[in-house]
Amino acid sequence: MNRQFPLDLRWPPHQRLDAFWPGANVPALQGVSDAVEGGDAWLYLQGGSGTGKSHLLIGACRAAIEANRPARYVSLVELPAPRAETIAAIEAEGLLAIDDVQAITGDREAERALFDLYNRAKVANARVLFAADASPLDLGIGLPDLVSRLAMCTQYVLRPLDDAGRRAMLRLLAGRMGLRLDDDVLDWWFARRPRDPASLVAMLQQIDRAALAAQRRVTIPFLRELWQGD
Amino acid sequence: MSDLWQRCLARLEGEIEPGVLHTWLQPLQARDDDGTLRLFAPNTYTLEFVRNGYLARIEGTLSALAGRPVPLRLEVGSISPVPKPLATSPGVPPPVAQQHNLDPHYTFDNFVEGKSNQLGKAAAMQVAHNPGRAYNPLLLYGGTGLGKTHLMQAAGNLMLKHNPSMKLLYVHSERFTEMMIAALRNKNMDDFKHRFRSVDALLIDDIQFFAGKDATQEEFFHTFNTLYESRQQIILTCDRYPKEVDNLELRLKSRLGWGLSVAIEPPDFETRAAILLEKAQTRGIPLPSDVALLLARRIRSNVRELEGALNTVAAQANLSGRGITVELAQETLRDLFNVHARAITVQNIQKTVADYYQLRLSDLLSQRRLRSLARPRQIAMALAKELTEHSLPEIGEAFGGKDHTTVMHACKKIRSLCDTDMRLRQDWDKLIRILTG
Repeated sequence: MNRQFPLDLRWPPHQRLDAFWPGANVPALQGVSDAVEGGDAWLYLQGGSGTGKSHLLIGACRAAIEANRPARYVSLVELPAPRAETIAAIEAEGLLAIDDVQAITGDREAERALFDLYNRAKVANARVLFAADASPLDLGIGLPDLVSRLAMCTQYVLRPLDDAGRRAMLRLLAGRMGLRLDDDVLDWWFARRPRDPASLVAMLQQIDRAALAAQRRVTIPFLRELWQGD
Repeated sequence: MSDLWQRCLARLEGEIEPGVLHTWLQPLQARDDDGTLRLFAPNTYTLEFVRNGYLARIEGTLSALAGRPVPLRLEVGSISPVPKPLATSPGVPPPVAQQHNLDPHYTFDNFVEGKSNQLGKAAAMQVAHNPGRAYNPLLLYGGTGLGKTHLMQAAGNLMLKHNPSMKLLYVHSERFTEMMIAALRNKNMDDFKHRFRSVDALLIDDIQFFAGKDATQEEFFHTFNTLYESRQQIILTCDRYPKEVDNLELRLKSRLGWGLSVAIEPPDFETRAAILLEKAQTRGIPLPSDVALLLARRIRSNVRELEGALNTVAAQANLSGRGITVELAQETLRDLFNVHARAITVQNIQKTVADYYQLRLSDLLSQRRLRSLARPRQIAMALAKELTEHSLPEIGEAFGGKDHTTVMHACKKIRSLCDTDMRLRQDWDKLIRILTG
């Protein structure tokens, strides 16, 4: 019973480093991969929604755990209240991935707790990956001590994927599922449905389940049928 | 029941909020112990949280999955085996580890000295050479990321080098509070007091975080007195002059002023460039001086930000297989630089200066020549020249259509006053800190 909790239950299965289509974000992917291997691991990823920050952080933790090293992913958005106490209870060891730093902006106690976590992690030789939707100076954090520490990390700005990148990402994931996506299928799909990465992945998973159940190839008629009620 | 806990988590995943599951339940480690499921929490807080909010739910789910009641024990601990103590020769007492918490990388040798910090460095060195005798307490104060912790720890490391058996303890102020709370909870305050009052040197970082914590201040006050009376060295850092810290007891403020308080100011341009070159050399990063000058010119606020920029450029060069050049630095740091450029505008400077001197913005921008208005106006103009890339005519225009020679005169006047008028110099430094910070 002392096995690690299976990863596929903890995090979305596609959020692995080897399933991250980087597009213009090759440096960030390389930086995070190096961090997992023990390189410079005080990184700060910034980018808007859907740029892959959470994917990289979760992928890093997954890779570390698969290599039998302790890792922890914490999204500050999802923390139960009181957030400061929750952050104070986070163990500073191994690889820590702190997502959605912007969520605690203006919460004085939570900012101090994160500052304290940073210091504890330094003392414990832990390594920390931060992610937020803006640069440390733009977040609006009131505690200057925390801002300067976040600014000390190696910074990576994540860019959203363009359509070519989204198609490549879908093909990469589809290939792992044993699905084939032809150009005409993607053209049809992209002209009709939301194209943000989270929606695309969710739709691909829906397609995978439906194609498996129906034992059919992914074609335009198949998609039309699948989404006709939507 | 080898996978029972995993199945339990899988079942709970759909029933409770993901934040709770990720933060509190997944870190629990499970072990089957003769039919009892033992769950190990990493700390007391997690244990309490799970016990109070989720234990009944976990028990119910386990029983439902197993089809029978499952004996369950929740405790603090870990399933990893406890390391055996190292064998020692009979009769030889095991070595007593000195837990000083110092980072050996902080030394005076790798501290870059400039006008802004030379007094602080000299005082810290004096203290390191004559602990308990030179300045006691030594208090280093100034904004974040300016090198206070570096100087404090460098002094500690030098003291240990001179006297390796010295009992020295470095703690962050938050840790002091946390340890005190733990001692109160575990009813071993005597151990806590002994630990802090028996050291030869106590170094506490960021004492501004003591503000508003009355019990911590009370305990620190007595620790301070004991150490001071027995001439043990105390070194402290604070983000501002302690008298300016709200919610710090008067008697503590007064004691902090008994020794020497030294301000650490933001580094000037040359020092910033020198810091970058020193850090690059230490890490084996080939940093050309024109890139160091570029970074030093564009990033003024503090050393940590400079270091972050250096890390970022070095990582980009390494990953792209390119050398570090001005072009690469500009490209990599475009977003970072934009933040700085965006934050500092002439209007922003005018408003900040007006607020600082408690003037109305309309008075600052008026034609009135009262000295109480003219001097802040000149300071604002000089700041606009220092911190923005606007031309002098543009700055003059922004100040109600003044001629560029008026701006030039203001800059010259303020530069000269900064050398002779300490009060104005302090105002200038504070304003720079506020605007860049």
